[in-house]
Amino acid sequence: MKTTVLLSHARHPVSDRPQLSRLEAQAIALAAEVDEAPSGLHAGRNETGVVAALGHGLTALDRLDLADTTDPLSALAAFLTRQRFDLILAGRRGEGGHETGLLPYRLAAILGLPILADAVAITPGAAVETLVVDQAMAKGARRRVTIRLPAIVTVHPLAPPPRPFAYGPMRRGTIRRHPVDGSANAADLDTAEERPHRLRPKLMRQSAGQAAGANLYVDPTPEEAARLILAYLEANGIRRYGPLNDR
Amino acid sequence: MTATFLPWIVVLMIAVAGVQIGRRLRLWRRGQPAPVDWLGGLRALPKRYLVDVHHVVERDRAAAKMHVPLAGGLVAACGFLLIGLVTGLTAWRFFWALVTLAFLAMTAGALLEIRRRYPRRLARLSGGSWQTFPFALIAFAIASGLSALFATFGNALPALELLTLILAAVGGVALAATAAEGPMRHALAGATHLVVHPRPQRFGGGRSTELKPLDLDAEKLGTETPADFAWNRLVAFDACVQCGRCEAACPAFAAGQPLSPKHLIADLAAASAGGERPPYHGNPYPNARPVGGRIGLHAPIVSAEGVIHPDTLWSCTTCRACVEECPMMIEHVDTIIDLRRFQTQERGAIPLKAEEPLANFRGCDEPNGRVLAERTDFAAGLKLPVIAAGGQTDVLLWLGQAAFDLRGQRTLTALIRILTAAKVDIAVLGADERDCGDLARRLGDEATFQRLASANVAALASVRFRRILTADPHALHVLRNEYPAFGGTYEVVHHTAFLAELAAAGRIPLSPLAGRSITYHDPCYLGRYNGEVEAPRRLLDALGLERHEMARSGKRAMCCGGGGGAPVADIPGDTRIPDLRMAQAAETGAKTVAVACPQCAAMLEGVTGERPVVKDVAELFLEAIEAAAMRPAEAVRALEVEPA
Amino acid sequence: MSRPRRDPRAERQSHDVGATGSRPRYDRSQPLPGRAGVPPIVAPARSGMTTQPQPAKPELRIVDEPAFLVFAVVEAPGGRLSRFDRQVLGAARLLADAGDGGAGVVAIASHSVEGLGEAGADRVLLFTAEAMPGTVAKALRQTVDALSPRHVLFAETGDSADLARRLAIALDEPLLANVEHLTSRQAVRAIRNGRAEIAATPPRLISLGEDRIKPYEAAPCEARALALDTAPHNDDPAILSVEFIPGDPASLALSETDFVVSAGNGVSDFAAFRDLATHLRATPGASRVVCDAGLMPRAAQVGASGTVLSADCYFALGISGAPQHLQGIAGCEHVIAVNTDLHAAMIERAGLAIVQDAQLVMPALLQLLRGGER
Repeated sequence: MKTTVLLSHARHPVSDRPQLSRLEAQAIALAAEVDEAPSGLHAGRNETGVVAALGHGLTALDRLDLADTTDPLSALAAFLTRQRFDLILAGRRGEGGHETGLLPYRLAAILGLPILADAVAITPGAAVETLVVDQAMAKGARRRVTIRLPAIVTVHPLAPPPRPFAYGPMRRGTIRRHPVDGSANAADLDTAEERPHRLRPKLMRQSAGQAAGANLYVDPTPEEAARLILAYLEANGIRRYGPLNDR
Repeated sequence: MTATFLPWIVVLMIAVAGVQIGRRLRLWRRGQPAPVDWLGGLRALPKRYLVDVHHVVERDRAAAKMHVPLAGGLVAACGFLLIGLVTGLTAWRFFWALVTLAFLAMTAGALLEIRRRYPRRLARLSGGSWQTFPFALIAFAIASGLSALFATFGNALPALELLTLILAAVGGVALAATAAEGPMRHALAGATHLVVHPRPQRFGGGRSTELKPLDLDAEKLGTETPADFAWNRLVAFDACVQCGRCEAACPAFAAGQPLSPKHLIADLAAASAGGERPPYHGNPYPNARPVGGRIGLHAPIVSAEGVIHPDTLWSCTTCRACVEECPMMIEHVDTIIDLRRFQTQERGAIPLKAEEPLANFRGCDEPNGRVLAERTDFAAGLKLPVIAAGGQTDVLLWLGQAAFDLRGQRTLTALIRILTAAKVDIAVLGADERDCGDLARRLGDEATFQRLASANVAALASVRFRRILTADPHALHVLRNEYPAFGGTYEVVHHTAFLAELAAAGRIPLSPLAGRSITYHDPCYLGRYNGEVEAPRRLLDALGLERHEMARSGKRAMCCGGGGGAPVADIPGDTRIPDLRMAQAAETGAKTVAVACPQCAAMLEGVTGERPVVKDVAELFLEAIEAAAMRPAEAVRALEVEPA
Repeated sequence: MSRPRRDPRAERQSHDVGATGSRPRYDRSQPLPGRAGVPPIVAPARSGMTTQPQPAKPELRIVDEPAFLVFAVVEAPGGRLSRFDRQVLGAARLLADAGDGGAGVVAIASHSVEGLGEAGADRVLLFTAEAMPGTVAKALRQTVDALSPRHVLFAETGDSADLARRLAIALDEPLLANVEHLTSRQAVRAIRNGRAEIAATPPRLISLGEDRIKPYEAAPCEARALALDTAPHNDDPAILSVEFIPGDPASLALSETDFVVSAGNGVSDFAAFRDLATHLRATPGASRVVCDAGLMPRAAQVGASGTVLSADCYFALGISGAPQHLQGIAGCEHVIAVNTDLHAAMIERAGLAIVQDAQLVMPALLQLLRGGER
């Protein structure tokens, strides 16, 4: 199954050094499940960050030589059309650009391919040219979808962790650089309204109004304690256990 | 008859042994080339054997009492006989008396060896051919001794003499025949190993504990198969005498993790030969993971199909207790690191939890993904200048990983307070201090280590200082012993030594912390790796503390379990290493365990339940300063340490 | 008291305008004079089928003729609104009530959901369950065309996020994804690895980041049911089969589960503990001491050195609450603690704290739960 993984412009949150996105590294691990020699595809001026993908399981890396400010959509679409991959994997949102997560969907629209989101596992289907994709759903549920190939699949963070990095294979991996001609079909990304990011705190997870001792029971009987616990679980919508015998 | 034949029996034995060891020699030659000073090695052999090896053997008195007459008798007797053969001394009766004496000594040694094995052998010894070996020794010794005795007193009983000679020949050849795969191999390979040892610097009182840099442009990184080992490493595996001292000292083995250094070395010796995996008669790996057992010079060693399970490899804390105990001078830790290097760098086969710090190193030069510039945040209220490029200081304080950890910060805060009180001119690198790379290197990620080392060496080159001070023995070891290979040679001092200097100089008033019983836990990377066991004790004594020693202390101290990436690899065992060590500390009755390493502090503080308090020596020192400041001036005296 | 069951099929039938042709046509809305461009919402034909306002809350907030509409797509797994769903509804409410207000929030769900009114929904629009996002997107697009909402809000997770993108492609409109700050005039999202941000007037399509916008907490809304004029059904030729596999709490990873029951030093009967976890339908966890002792596998360890949880609820049995352990449950909204020590840190942290021997409470809980299954 000829597979490629789209690699974006991730940077390390602490050092700001270019690096491979963790989600895309997870995508590589999935790709390696169905393809012995998966490749990666990156659009950018250099491969400083994404070269690590070769140490995480890719055997080759295709780089479309594009400025970071150029919208890579048309160049990627053209390359993917030429290469005819069976499977194109990507993270839910590419990193380092506008991070809208729309690119895989745009590519799907241009290439006329089906797209599935949030894969945590992929296996070849029973029939040829099919793929079984497990999608992550809430509360640990999975949706197992059999899809006809070729297709685009995005990967969920709950997919298995990336394969540990190995320096040797990275050194031996193939890097193919592809010039992209014609700025005619490449629109520049809009950078006009950008401003420095301001860190905003997230909402607190702890439920409010939990003053110490507000809900404290000292030495209740075990039965009473059990009833209190189940009542609390049901009242807060954690679980529902149906009618209990001694209510 | 004896005079004619006994020397020739020795010649026959040497021939058989030669043929046998020749088989191994051919194997050794298939290892990787290694630079060896043959002449120097050969010249140094007697001294290495009689001084360095004996020094280790002697730690087990019973073993020394056994080995000196046994090996001495055998070598002397065979030596005499060969000399006799060449010089014609065999006609002289006194000569035979000498030979008889030598064999008598050998008999005594063999008897002692039998005592170690019967009725029950010591737990750390191996069975199998090792168990029957002393009988071959004693048969040869008695038969040859009797023959020599006959020769001493003339040809009295020719029939009996013939019988003893035949017995001597059979026993001798049986002994010599074990030179390839059996117990006698240790003598020949062991002697060879002493000549071609990969770390000749460690003999004659020297020390050589730094890991050697790996050529990152090499075809293959690290060791996959026996053939990837340097040839003199293959010799080392064959030198193993399976005495099990390494196993008895191994903290991972004690905690029930699947590692026994002895088993590992035996496996490696077996792996290079190929064919059927020979039986192993020592203790199995604790909670042994099943492996396929496929061996061969070119077969992968560490894998589910090979001989060594990955969990065995990742259980090691690199504490060097095995190396310290090994009478054959085998370098177990080098071997484990070589194997890890291949697993990490070529296969990416590293425990997932251990990959996290490595990923963080690649991302931001810090194992927990912290911001380097925040390393000094804990010292906000303290006097801790950050040195700029081109700046100058007397003492450069290397903060290390501890600066990001609450427990480590307590130690560092105490240390900085002391230095401020003593008016020591200190500064730190600030954001230019990257992790020293110890963890990356021990986990086999040499590429990351070399990158960090080069960056740190460059940062250190941009400032001027007299010496580096650190409270982290791991950083100390790397900076002092491993950075020279990357162009950085520094005088690095551990805070225990530095504080001992301060106390000795009497520059700070100290009030004795009398009446407090403590025990000192030696950090592996300070004691065994760097031989510094005196200064911390001098310091603790200077603080007036009542010091109790644990059964295992100094260079033979047991590890806390925190080194070599073992905590991140987290291979399950029956218990945890720090729990074992803390129990040993509690046994002394001391109420406080004094530590000198942030890893040790973290590991030992992680022990739950009733236990002694864990204090870094810097914290104790600060207590003594503060106690002095509280007391009336006349009661204060500057404590002095006797000159060492 | 049980609510009358809705019958979407019958409701749809009642709106059939009986047009000729192969496709059935439904008419649900008529233009309302005076409010150009905003189609009004017609109450469902059979009022008896709608969710009844609860009599206990008379201050029900009713928007009869919304000035405009804001769609909020909710996932509500198991028919219950998640915290994130409430935040999406809260954001929709915020946009609907801005300025003159008077707008209506339409919750869009794929199955019936409790508590939508309390969470701020004026109207409820149900798609039939278990349709693939591609199919739902088509139906949603038709609904958007028909009702012209001013905003459509999504949660930046799961099928909602998927749907948001499919709708953006279908409408050829921009999507402001993963918004982390929202007011009626401005929506802000981070870009370039969090180095920069973009602020914009809230566009039509917005997906929200988690824990960014407060849920709605004022007077309950009506949550009047709307019927849908198209029933989505999977017709994508590339999708060959779909199978739903429910999550099994017992085998879930700690990082993924919503409910963890965890054992510490105060638990000695681990067979009973595992049994209890099964009956509570919770994922079993443990403190470090328990894992060190080999009583539970290492993978079950909760805390800074084990797994850091994102579960909604943490039930600690006999765990005193070492700092490292508490770091691991910092993200848990609800904490229940059973411990013999009144002064344990875990008792302090808990929303329900019971000072009692965990070994005694476990059998009592089991008995209660077993009884409940009959």
